[in-house]
Amino acid sequence: MSEDLRSSLESAPPRNRWPWLVAAAVAVLVIVVVAFAATRGGADSKTSVANGKPVRGGTLQFALLDAQNSPDPQLGTNYAESIIANNIGDKLVWQDPKTGKITPWLATSWKFNHDLTQLTFHLRRDVTFSDGTKFTSASVKANLDQFIRGDAKLGILPNGASLFPGYLGTDTPDEYTAVLKFKQPLASALQAASITSNGQPVFLAASTLKLSATQRAADATKIIGTGPFVYESWKPQVNTVLKRREGYNWAPPAIGHKGEAYLDKVVFNTIPEASVRTGSLTSGSIDATLDVGTTDEQPLRAQGFQIITRPVSGTPLRIDLNSSLFPTNDIAVRKAFQLGWNRDTIKKTVLSSSYAIATSILEPSVAGYVDHSSTLTYNPDEAKKLLDDDGWKPGPDGIRVKDGKKLTIKVLGVNNLVANKPAFESIQADLLKIGINLQANVVPHQDFMALWVNARTAWNGTAGNTSRDDPVVLNATYSPLLGNQGWLDPKSADGKKAIEVLGKLDTTLDPAARVKYAAAAQDLLVDQLALTNPVYDATQVIAQAPYVHGIIFDAQSRNEFVDAWKSNGK
Amino acid sequence: MLRYVAMKLGRAAFVIWAAFTLSFVLLFVLPANPVDLLFDPDQLNTLSPETKARVAASYGFDKPLPAQYLDRLGHALRGDFGTSVRSGRSVTGAIGDVMPSTIVLAVGALVLALAIGFGIALLASSTRWAWLRGVVEALPTAAVSVPIFLSGILLLQVFAFQLGWFPAYGDSGWTSLVLPLVALAIPVSGPIAQLLVRSFDHELHSGYVTTSWAKGATRSQVLVGDVFRNASLPALTIAGITFGNLIAGSVITETVFARQGVGRLTQSAISALDVPLVQGIVMFVAVTFAVINLIVDLAYPLLDPRLRATLATGSAGMRRPR
Repeated sequence: MSEDLRSSLESAPPRNRWPWLVAAAVAVLVIVVVAFAATRGGADSKTSVANGKPVRGGTLQFALLDAQNSPDPQLGTNYAESIIANNIGDKLVWQDPKTGKITPWLATSWKFNHDLTQLTFHLRRDVTFSDGTKFTSASVKANLDQFIRGDAKLGILPNGASLFPGYLGTDTPDEYTAVLKFKQPLASALQAASITSNGQPVFLAASTLKLSATQRAADATKIIGTGPFVYESWKPQVNTVLKRREGYNWAPPAIGHKGEAYLDKVVFNTIPEASVRTGSLTSGSIDATLDVGTTDEQPLRAQGFQIITRPVSGTPLRIDLNSSLFPTNDIAVRKAFQLGWNRDTIKKTVLSSSYAIATSILEPSVAGYVDHSSTLTYNPDEAKKLLDDDGWKPGPDGIRVKDGKKLTIKVLGVNNLVANKPAFESIQADLLKIGINLQANVVPHQDFMALWVNARTAWNGTAGNTSRDDPVVLNATYSPLLGNQGWLDPKSADGKKAIEVLGKLDTTLDPAARVKYAAAAQDLLVDQLALTNPVYDATQVIAQAPYVHGIIFDAQSRNEFVDAWKSNGK
Repeated sequence: MLRYVAMKLGRAAFVIWAAFTLSFVLLFVLPANPVDLLFDPDQLNTLSPETKARVAASYGFDKPLPAQYLDRLGHALRGDFGTSVRSGRSVTGAIGDVMPSTIVLAVGALVLALAIGFGIALLASSTRWAWLRGVVEALPTAAVSVPIFLSGILLLQVFAFQLGWFPAYGDSGWTSLVLPLVALAIPVSGPIAQLLVRSFDHELHSGYVTTSWAKGATRSQVLVGDVFRNASLPALTIAGITFGNLIAGSVITETVFARQGVGRLTQSAISALDVPLVQGIVMFVAVTFAVINLIVDLAYPLLDPRLRATLATGSAGMRRPR
């Protein structure tokens, strides 16, 4: 049969050329017609509604980029999970997003012991889980033990281990008092108890704690918390529906919200495409959306939608330099790296108005931030001088050479934010001018995770950013005993100094002392050791219809909906 | 005939086993330490070696590789591919959750694509106007040239946002299916239509059709009665390619239209380095592929009498006619 077909094809008349022209014409025609139809007519103008009295009732349709991979709020691997966890569960304390101060929530008061190894919480007495069981110090103990230690039999990972290093256990002297005990001073434990980002210390009912990870993922309605909303349904990758918790009356006092949430339901819709999120908002099927594309902000404002934002608190997007791998083990190289790239170029060509160039290893919204833009500035002449004095002479191809070895720096980055790759490329081009060969590998998240495993021996620099509204994030991230993202040797002089200076952040709660220690930590990391190269600060952006009110950005720029309401009450 | 069936079955089984072994090697053997992939880089250094050892033991990563392989193979034969690392849901459960959505989308798109393909071929072979024939024959090329993310977003812009006829995301009844089906069917129909046009053309020139003309059949009687059945067979040959197009297209379609599905599950499992789930999906695709090819191989003798005769007489040259 194949021979017959071939011969029939060969004997067929030669094909005309014009069907190809026709195909092209048809395609162009289709695109033009559709584009015309798409741009014709805009959204109907939205009349702005004044902020009146909150209206009870209604369903808020919210859109985001990420999907919730698991309904377990203590797992928290992405934004969607941490936002939903914040709304079905509560934490011991609430960090005020404007001042950074720790305020009461499920705990009415707290006290550290003298050497900061024990933290005592006195709990509210009127809190109940949505299945009616009481929230007591036993709940705190059971939750923290499982959250920090994990449970191999149930398949629960130790999600909280890095948040509470050195956790020994929790004592429960009476029904409403819980005492957390640690091996070493851990001043950061207080802020850790308020954390609203990935892997947060949210409290689950005893019946939920008994379930294995598989069982939790099989039925989201079995995840019982104390929060203003409860799970109604979870459709993986598609949406999560939360409904109001009857009888809720313990929102953080600092928010000023009494009683239950205003909304009947909140639906978190996962919409991966940016244009579909924006289009759904303008056509009215979505009330508010996170993950607004940078080019959509202005057009949405022009159409009458509100844009609310908060910069992410913690460290900026940064490149941590490996101090134990050649050539970044040479401090002159690290300092030259910091001085060698033009911030203005990136600001003008890569970043949008929602982003700012980083001026320290802490973001400006974190208490204790100190402006280090005098160190983090573009000074190619100074950079060249540092390298020349250190013995790095430009080779025949322009790349500097010392003792026969080239100045090649391999950096690993992740392309989750649209600005990352262009930013790296801009830095690469600038560093080349002063003789540094930067090899930037900006890869998708999964490749980043897989490649990061060999960070100490294979990469001179790794990109990172951490959400934590507390200067202790520097200790957690850079201390040679903890995160050690700069790969310091704990036995070296630099390592010991880092352990001491960064460790001080965990030894006191006195605001004045913390500001002093934060300044010292930033000086050490940015100026003295040049261990890190901060690039830019990111912002979380929500676009909402004018009838939506009361969405809260917390200290880690996640969202709470307990105080949210819709003017039309629908 | 029995030998033919046994050979095809054996081939299918081999393909499935090979897929399992290859995916095991690539996912469990090559990465330096699978436990490190379970945690964020920030947290990795803070975890104590004891914690990591405990997690490794709970996943069985500390056993020697051949033991791990046989253990997983044993479980796989019973349908247990472990649990997803990111969600804790069983792998078969996670795939089962999203499979109905994908099946509906895939089957619907395939039916629509076949309808489009046959429609184009019928129109091209039945029309007398050369210009119309030219236009219609150019359509398959245009169909595969427009990427799904573009056609999908354009469809959404016009029909969902401007006109509001269909919802833009999610899964709320049959109205949510229309736009994704159209978007996915267009590129899948391209190769089918192209093949059918040539095939119809060839059949129209063959001997039995001349006989029908001679016996006084009308054009439609010839097309529907004679040509249709015989020209359809090549479409079955490219069932494998069609399935591949459907899978590839479904990832993008599900992302653009925010639908649940195996395509999106694959993409997020890979993003999250959810190794057990990735292996489960690879096996699911491999099994489906092998089964489809097996069904096609077994269906061919039923559809083509010439092959039936060849098999019955046990002829040595057992090749599927092209």
